[in-house]
Amino acid sequence: MGFTRRDILKASIVGAVATGSASISSSLLAANKTVKIGMNIPMTGDYAPWGLPGLYGCQIVADDINAAGGVKIGSDTYNIEMVAYDHGYDTEKAVQGYKKLVLQDKVSMVMMLGGSTVASVLPWAQRRKMLTTTLLPSDITPKSDYLIATCESHPLYDVTGVEWLAKNYPDAKTAAIVTNNDAEYGLQATATYKAAFEVEGIEVVDVNLHGFDITDFAPIVSSVLAKKPDIFCMATSFYVTPLMEQLYHQGFKGKIITTTLDYYDEIIAKTSKEFVNGTIFQFPDFDDPMLNESGINFPDPGGFDAKFRKAHPNDWSAVSWEYPAILLNWIEGAKAAGSVDPTAVLKALKSNKNPEFVFGGGQWWGSQLWGQDNAVVGRWPVVVIEDGKARIKEFGSVSNWLDKNKDVLIKHMKELGLRTV
Amino acid sequence: MELVLQSLVNGLIQGGFFALFAVGLVLIFGVMGVVNFAHGELVMIGSYTIWLVHAQYDFAFIPVLLLAIVIVTLIGLLMERFLFRPTRNDPLAGLICSIGVLFILQVVATLIGGDGPSKQVPPPFHGTLALFDFLRIPYQRLFGLGVSVLALGTLWYFLTRTRLGWALRAVALDREAAALQGININHISMIAIGVGAALAGLAGGLMAPLTNINPHMGHNVIITAFIVTIVGGVGSLSGAVYAAILYALFHTFVSVYFGGTVATISGLVLMVVVLIVRPSGIMGVKVSE
Repeated sequence: MGFTRRDILKASIVGAVATGSASISSSLLAANKTVKIGMNIPMTGDYAPWGLPGLYGCQIVADDINAAGGVKIGSDTYNIEMVAYDHGYDTEKAVQGYKKLVLQDKVSMVMMLGGSTVASVLPWAQRRKMLTTTLLPSDITPKSDYLIATCESHPLYDVTGVEWLAKNYPDAKTAAIVTNNDAEYGLQATATYKAAFEVEGIEVVDVNLHGFDITDFAPIVSSVLAKKPDIFCMATSFYVTPLMEQLYHQGFKGKIITTTLDYYDEIIAKTSKEFVNGTIFQFPDFDDPMLNESGINFPDPGGFDAKFRKAHPNDWSAVSWEYPAILLNWIEGAKAAGSVDPTAVLKALKSNKNPEFVFGGGQWWGSQLWGQDNAVVGRWPVVVIEDGKARIKEFGSVSNWLDKNKDVLIKHMKELGLRTV
Repeated sequence: MELVLQSLVNGLIQGGFFALFAVGLVLIFGVMGVVNFAHGELVMIGSYTIWLVHAQYDFAFIPVLLLAIVIVTLIGLLMERFLFRPTRNDPLAGLICSIGVLFILQVVATLIGGDGPSKQVPPPFHGTLALFDFLRIPYQRLFGLGVSVLALGTLWYFLTRTRLGWALRAVALDREAAALQGININHISMIAIGVGAALAGLAGGLMAPLTNINPHMGHNVIITAFIVTIVGGVGSLSGAVYAAILYALFHTFVSVYFGGTVATISGLVLMVVVLIVRPSGIMGVKVSE
């Protein structure tokens, strides 16, 4: 393709400003059709940090696009309207919300977080041929033709952090993994970390799984630190703050690696900047200078970051930019299809062998693990806290790692009883 | 050995928190005959008060801790006056009312704190006490342990050395007999729920800097409180204290040596075993029919 999505968006914004005035924009808006994009996500409850910030992010992107005159798909110009339903990570509500979005709101795509809530809607989504997205590609099955994961490939990107750690800290030779014991998030990440450590020759000396009812992490951290690991690995997101707090109080001096480090300012407030510095994780702030490099498929990341934090000062999380990135993927597909029809958009997206992955280098993948190439994997950032601020150190390649090591990953997935194909 | 000592300290500190909210639950059940399902939410409101007033508005921690106790006590008193007293002769109605309060308090917390991530409170007491090069105790936890011991000691003195405390225990033993002795049941019920709620507010306030604060945090609290209450002996205050410490030590050591998942299951298995082997709990009194 001659133009990237970023070029088109920039041109749209510049065009709207150059031609004019608010009155012209208003008349354009008035003439536009509306396409509705659904979000069936947790906006309350324990999982809300992985839903609500995504809606905020999508609203910012949609507002920007609409203010610039909308998006031209086929012969029509559309404004984008976000329609959200809060399922609170409850499967029954997820089904109810999904049907409401499809039947009543008539959305053209439904974005979801993943896990059991996606599994609960899959049969109906398949029958209705409704394009649905997930952040957990492990939701993809050989029969889920309409389910895609175009942004987050949880937890495959964790391998890039381990690669970077091994390269920069060659003396770190043992690791302990702590995570919640659910199959959707915790065990998937555990298998991935175990595979990544094995590839790098790092011995896993302890895997400590816990439930969701833990109120005190002191005993867990004491138990793990007694094994004297060089690396403390958190394959979870729910309890990073109390775990980090315990590591601080119990005097851990080794390297810390974790999938996410959401709300790291609060962790610093509970521990110290010096302690948190050096922590490796996978989700950048979007004011990071490295996101301005070529190959990044997200328009004006710094501007998006600033707008988000101004409107929602305490809500930035890993998903703030992920759902917007999926929305941008959908726009790309709809433009290519010349239609907002879910089947046409899916076909257009899948026919692009080099999809515009948010961090670049994307390719469709997944048949070896989940039965269909319905997930996009590509470059993924390795982020490290430096002087109390998240900074990208490099972009690793998930696809390259999988090309070389997918058998190791499959072995560890099977060991933990996880589905492979 | 180092791990055993560290785990012992961790367990004792955790036991102090467990005892605070379990004793309150037992007190309310003993005097009023109500299983207060909203007790975990009273703890949650204590934590939210700390988050809102101390962490968001920078008021000093200890005065806000006292404020948390006052607020939660007031909620408890309102529950007694307007829900539990009118339904006193129907334990099921009281239980259902408490479930209603549970949901209301969760919604109130959501309205106050909004949706989204769990709230965090920076510890007012920074730093860690290091002993013998291997035993490390955060000052915040030491403070919590000290306050818990002080509160439980004060409660023990109140119940065993004051006329009001005797009256309260008398009502817990036999409400009708106590009433025949001239004890004002309404008055004593207010005191019971006031003290129980105050302890819950204190527990919530003390735990606030150590835990994830969210509207649903009371769920884990109430499960732990039920386990402690059943193991200790339903209605036995001293049993609740012993069981809280025993259960915390049990949970801590199982977590350390067998992992968190096993610890969770073991706690529930422990409760079931106690129910089968000694239904009255370790300190409960077996009542013949």
